[in-house]
Amino acid sequence: MADKLLTQHNDVEGSHTLDVYRSLGGYSALEKALTMTPDGVVDEVKKSNLRGRGGAGFPTGMKWSFMPKAPTFPDGRPKPKYLVCNADEGEPGTFKDRLLMTRHPHMLLEGMIIAAHAIGASRGFIYIRGEFVFEIKRVEDAIVEARKMGILGKKVLNTDWSFDLVVYRGAGAYICGEETALLNSLEGKRGEPRLKPPFPAMVGAFGMPTCVNNVETFCAVPTIISNGAAAFAAIGTERSGGTRLFCVSGEIEKPGVYELPLSINLRDLIDHCGGVLGGKKLKAVIPGGASAPMLSAAEIDVAMDFDSLAKAGTMAGSGGVIVISEDTCIVAVAARLLKFYEHESCGQCSQCREGSHWLARMFARIEAGGGTDADLDAIAGICSNMAGQTICAFADAVTGPALSSVRKFRHDFEEHVRLKRCPCKPEGHVVRHDHHASAML
Amino acid sequence: MTTSEAPAKPKLTIDGQAVEFQPGDTIMKAAERARMDGTIPRFCYHPGLPVAGTCRMCTVEVEKAPKLMTACSTPAADGMVVLTQSDRVRKSRSGVMEFLLANHPLDCPVCDQAGECSLQDYNYEYGPSKSHFVEDKRVWKEATTKRLSDKLTLNMNRCIHCERCVRFTEDVTKTHELLMDNRAWRKELTTALDEGLFNDYQGNVADICPVGAITFNDFRFHKRVWFLKEKTGICDGCAKGCSIYADEEKDTVYRYRARFNKDVNDHWICDEGRVSFHTYQQADRIVQPLLTAGSTLNATSWETLVPWFTNELKKARRVLILIGTDASSEEAATIAQVLPSFSSADFVVRSWNGTGDGVRTSADDAPLDHLLRRRDQTSNTRGIEGLGIKPWNEAQDQNFDLAIYFRSGRATLPPSMAAKEIAWGVFSLAEAQRFAAVLPGLSTLEKFGTYTNCDQITQSFETVVKGLGGSASVRKILDGMKLKSNTPVREVAGDTI
Repeated sequence: MADKLLTQHNDVEGSHTLDVYRSLGGYSALEKALTMTPDGVVDEVKKSNLRGRGGAGFPTGMKWSFMPKAPTFPDGRPKPKYLVCNADEGEPGTFKDRLLMTRHPHMLLEGMIIAAHAIGASRGFIYIRGEFVFEIKRVEDAIVEARKMGILGKKVLNTDWSFDLVVYRGAGAYICGEETALLNSLEGKRGEPRLKPPFPAMVGAFGMPTCVNNVETFCAVPTIISNGAAAFAAIGTERSGGTRLFCVSGEIEKPGVYELPLSINLRDLIDHCGGVLGGKKLKAVIPGGASAPMLSAAEIDVAMDFDSLAKAGTMAGSGGVIVISEDTCIVAVAARLLKFYEHESCGQCSQCREGSHWLARMFARIEAGGGTDADLDAIAGICSNMAGQTICAFADAVTGPALSSVRKFRHDFEEHVRLKRCPCKPEGHVVRHDHHASAML
Repeated sequence: MTTSEAPAKPKLTIDGQAVEFQPGDTIMKAAERARMDGTIPRFCYHPGLPVAGTCRMCTVEVEKAPKLMTACSTPAADGMVVLTQSDRVRKSRSGVMEFLLANHPLDCPVCDQAGECSLQDYNYEYGPSKSHFVEDKRVWKEATTKRLSDKLTLNMNRCIHCERCVRFTEDVTKTHELLMDNRAWRKELTTALDEGLFNDYQGNVADICPVGAITFNDFRFHKRVWFLKEKTGICDGCAKGCSIYADEEKDTVYRYRARFNKDVNDHWICDEGRVSFHTYQQADRIVQPLLTAGSTLNATSWETLVPWFTNELKKARRVLILIGTDASSEEAATIAQVLPSFSSADFVVRSWNGTGDGVRTSADDAPLDHLLRRRDQTSNTRGIEGLGIKPWNEAQDQNFDLAIYFRSGRATLPPSMAAKEIAWGVFSLAEAQRFAAVLPGLSTLEKFGTYTNCDQITQSFETVVKGLGGSASVRKILDGMKLKSNTPVREVAGDTI
């Protein structure tokens, strides 16, 4: 396996402190970046083929280049530009950002300061998922350390440029991981995705041009600057450079966060993690967080980069790999995931608000043995009325597990309908589902 | 010689028809300008509110765009080709309808919105004939008739979460009383405070609610809307003169609704104005000629009252004609000119307002808030001033032996004007006690004419309903006086001066 770029110092004692981080070469990338022009930094990141690690996989350098150079208010005063870190890691099956924030908070800060220099931001926000109490403390401590050392605040590293960071705690909504919902939440509004255009690069946080990137994306920036774009691009595929933090969970021998080249094959990744738990037969894999359509055991001979997975009809998403063995009821998995989405839809678009609820109720009913063949036929229609019809990609995410599970494991669903119970559970087992309307209201 | 061509206006094509638009227009706005928005259904979009783009009902197909676009939020572009009725579009709308109706109670037979409900109309046009939804419907048990304020009732089960109401209190009244609680399918409309709504424009919330979720208590369950005839009118509740629809059946008005007028009231009217028509339909309004007999007012006939009135004018030496600033300009001009011709007495014509804690002239008027309401609660102060009629100065204009007070129901009762006072127009029984006679006149709803509003905009209004009971127009009474006979006054609907 190739070298690690982000997590090579995972096991170093005190890696989260400024002293240790500096002793391992930390903040040298920032020093180098400050000698470069902002455009030079953007070009370097462009050349590295770094793509956003939050889920959409948008080329980072290109995103930065969308930021206006010198925006002004109508009266001619210069507009501030903001940099936002999306640390609202909420995708089920994803737990890489919390590792980075726990062990390497200064790497995140360094990446953000370099990015701020590149886009000309005066202030940054780190929007951290509210449940990450420990990680929030770590990042806040790191910010205090960095301020003390003159790395953050007025005159960054004795240059004429000032930049400071603020940590903002999320309040527990999955949808706030969507960048415009995050911006609304940051502004103190309901966390609901915004209509686009305008895109955040034009009208972002508090109406100012804003660039939003994921924790892992920022953490990849220092190594790109230190070791050069070419070295980063050399790892991975032609259109997607670098390593990726894969979060492997589910029925796997050695679950955890694995930093591996983007181009790794899914089959090799599972083997690398010790194979399916207890040597069981593989049934399915969710390759990129809960929103990614499932792959059946026959489909896992696929590279884990953005393009290959898209070609395979799923997505690389957030890098959360969930392994499912033959002993697990796929209907139960889908029903549980849909219950999550039913709970987390922001509720502004008609299709998503009503559809996520409808599908969750239907899948729960099928799992409990109350399904009919007509239900199985209706699912595709409901999903096609949801996907691509709404403001954000949440509705598409809902259809991921719903559609892929029925398409690829239709036999399992038909068995539920035929037997009027879950065949994976002992006879007489009652599937509990508290979806009844009055129970929730 | 060179000719300069005006730059061609940008155009887009909607359903095969080229439509000019202005820079900054959305597809919906461009379609509205061309009056082609009838084929674009909408729930969350309202021309008077910020765009939300959430109901997804107004999606249209835009050539070269991979996804369907919402007409309400997509900027129009030169050369854009838009289809509002393609198969893809209709399928998407059908999907939205199925989702919206999945948890809707479908209680149209007992819903007051039935007949003017967007959900009904669009379902007829786009909805699937049959739903796949077989789950239990979402039910807010506590909220089938939740009180939002003393004016509004909420039935949350009917709500389609378009949030027009929320945006109205955020962006129009800026009072922020309404908000959505919770998330996803459990998202529930609620008020920020226990007191509920407190703004003065709540009726608009019921107006803009596209379904039967929010209804206006004053109208709720009073009349099925398909019995109502929509008539246009002007609210005479204050100097703003908002454009309204007055919905009536069999000469009874059941409600006012705001009528769009960008120069006056935009899409809104205030609550006070919205229920102001009740004044003219109350049981204590005098709709029969009254004449004094000793200390009491007794019912009489026009045949008796008109000659009596003419005779009183002839007997008098110095007469005050006091015209309420709620009279139409035509009424005021006619009375001021014609009445003195019946007598050789000395006539003084003055105006009276008295509303809003002592408004006398237009100079005393002022806005009460950032929207519509005015201190002057009569409809034609500027129009009366335009006729050269001055306000009554109690200190200077004195020593009358007869005073005639004409008003149309809004101006207050002036202090005592003369030994003998005659009331003419719209009065309640309680108000009439001090007068020697009452000549019942027409309210704004029952006549036509013009009012000039606080911004010097002169608007004409039409007759909505027939005069109540025996109330007569100014013209009928003056005609009767001219004939000097006891010819019965024949009342014709819609007749004024």
